[in-house]
Amino acid sequence: MSASTATTPSPAAPRTPWRKNKKLDQWLCFWSVPFFFSLFGLVFVPLSWMIPPRSPSSPLPDIVDFMQSQNLLLACVILTLSFGLAPVSNACYLIQMRRMSVSPAFRLALMIGAMIGAIVGMLFPMFCFGLGAFRPGYDPAILAMLYDFGYLAFIGSLGCFCVMWTALGLAILLDKNNILPKWLGYYTVWQFVSELVAAPVWIAKSGPFAWDGLMTFWLAMAIYVPWQFIVYVCIYRAIRNQPEHELDNARPDRNAMIAEPGMRASA
Amino acid sequence: MSDTAVAAATPDPDPIGNVSTPPAHLPGESSMWFFVIGDLFIFAVYFVLYMVYRGQHHALFLQSQQHLNQGIAVINTVVLLSSSLFVALATGAARNGKVRDAFHLFGLAVALGAAFPILKMFEWIPEISAGLTPGTNLFFMYYYVMTGMHLCHVLLGLAILGFVMRDLHVSQRPDIRFVETGATYWHMVDVLWLVLFALLYLLR
Amino acid sequence: MSAYLRNPLVLVWAFLTASTVVSWWMSHDAEITHQFEATITAGVLLIAALKTKFVILYFMEVRHAPAWLKRTMDAWLILLFGLLFGFYFMSI
Repeated sequence: MSASTATTPSPAAPRTPWRKNKKLDQWLCFWSVPFFFSLFGLVFVPLSWMIPPRSPSSPLPDIVDFMQSQNLLLACVILTLSFGLAPVSNACYLIQMRRMSVSPAFRLALMIGAMIGAIVGMLFPMFCFGLGAFRPGYDPAILAMLYDFGYLAFIGSLGCFCVMWTALGLAILLDKNNILPKWLGYYTVWQFVSELVAAPVWIAKSGPFAWDGLMTFWLAMAIYVPWQFIVYVCIYRAIRNQPEHELDNARPDRNAMIAEPGMRASA
Repeated sequence: MSDTAVAAATPDPDPIGNVSTPPAHLPGESSMWFFVIGDLFIFAVYFVLYMVYRGQHHALFLQSQQHLNQGIAVINTVVLLSSSLFVALATGAARNGKVRDAFHLFGLAVALGAAFPILKMFEWIPEISAGLTPGTNLFFMYYYVMTGMHLCHVLLGLAILGFVMRDLHVSQRPDIRFVETGATYWHMVDVLWLVLFALLYLLR
Repeated sequence: MSAYLRNPLVLVWAFLTASTVVSWWMSHDAEITHQFEATITAGVLLIAALKTKFVILYFMEVRHAPAWLKRTMDAWLILLFGLLFGFYFMSI
């Protein structure tokens, strides 16, 4: 803001309209998150009852019914239209990670982990369940395979998310600029450890280590859900507290340059 | 962040006015304690669930436990306890300014700690070769998952202790808070193993 | 360096190691039946609780820690071992 000599000083500075907010890009990404996650939640829970996961040892007629249900069709339509928002919500992490004092390797690892995670953990299930919903007439055995494929891709794609959350957790813990709080770094470590405990879903078809099991699914959710919420609260605070001159897209204020020609433009 | 308790904990004098209790001290970063406490509670949930499932499948668990190598587990327990001892001694030495001693004591701790994964391989590899895999039954799934998670904690702990040693080696004035933080993590790893050892290997 | 051998922590270590061996001996010779060997299990769990308490108090230095930490650690011990004992004896 320019220290203007022309206008009389007012006790309260005029509020910047939201369109001119310098952090608008980050805020748009950030506010897409509740929208996207709510949509995701709607799609996966009440619409299709994909979550909580159905049993891996469901009998074949149940699987066929599920794969060809109307609700699954609707869920897949919504998912197809909205999955593009996933990268936008992930951008929030990356912008703040850029401010950390740690090596860029961390945010690159998170970015690539997020890309692969979205493909394997979201797109593959969408294809599998979408095939069941959009293409009637598949053999029940094929539908059963798609069902396995979809769920395993969704819950078994833990490797990508492990990488993401390891990168984020380590970056937070090693960051000397303290962009995000240290306890969040540790909580993120628990997050990826609980992903690791999900590895047995590839083996167990029933019991606590199956993809609908107590140890792999329910405990992981108990850790994940608060974590996801808390992470975004911390990112909100980080965005809000970020000094404007640190923004990547901070441009010199043209009016300031005109009013005070001696002033150097800030990067 | 850490010694917030020091100001608050003024020891109460006894009836004739002597103050003998040292002020309360939180070793290391408080964020590490957040992690330690949380990790202990998370593992506690896993431990209790194990006990619940054990109750439901008692014969299966009991029979499966027979195949475990108790001997190596006992040695590993003593290894970790000894390693923790050296870490505790080293922390004390570092506090007293005996940096070289602390460095050597941490070295002993790391050497012992490194024996743990090696011994674990001597335990796991014969078991897997004998066909006892995570998929064998619920007990073995629990066994491999829990000891596997614990092993990851051990390996991470060794890395942390390595960084502590490096700091002791290169710094003029070593960061005692960092030393204590690393030590706290390592003792947590020890505590977790003590419970695992009892639950997996010794319960009847 | 040998001065460290006289450190009281070594006594704690000796107790921990000895109790490890004792609990192993208790379990090792047990005749494996399909019944619950409640005495052995109770003994093993009790020793484990004692050992963890000692590591927490002496190695982790919770003995000198602020009161909230002492209470939290005690709560963890009581909850964990209480539930372990509880579920074990409930299933007998």
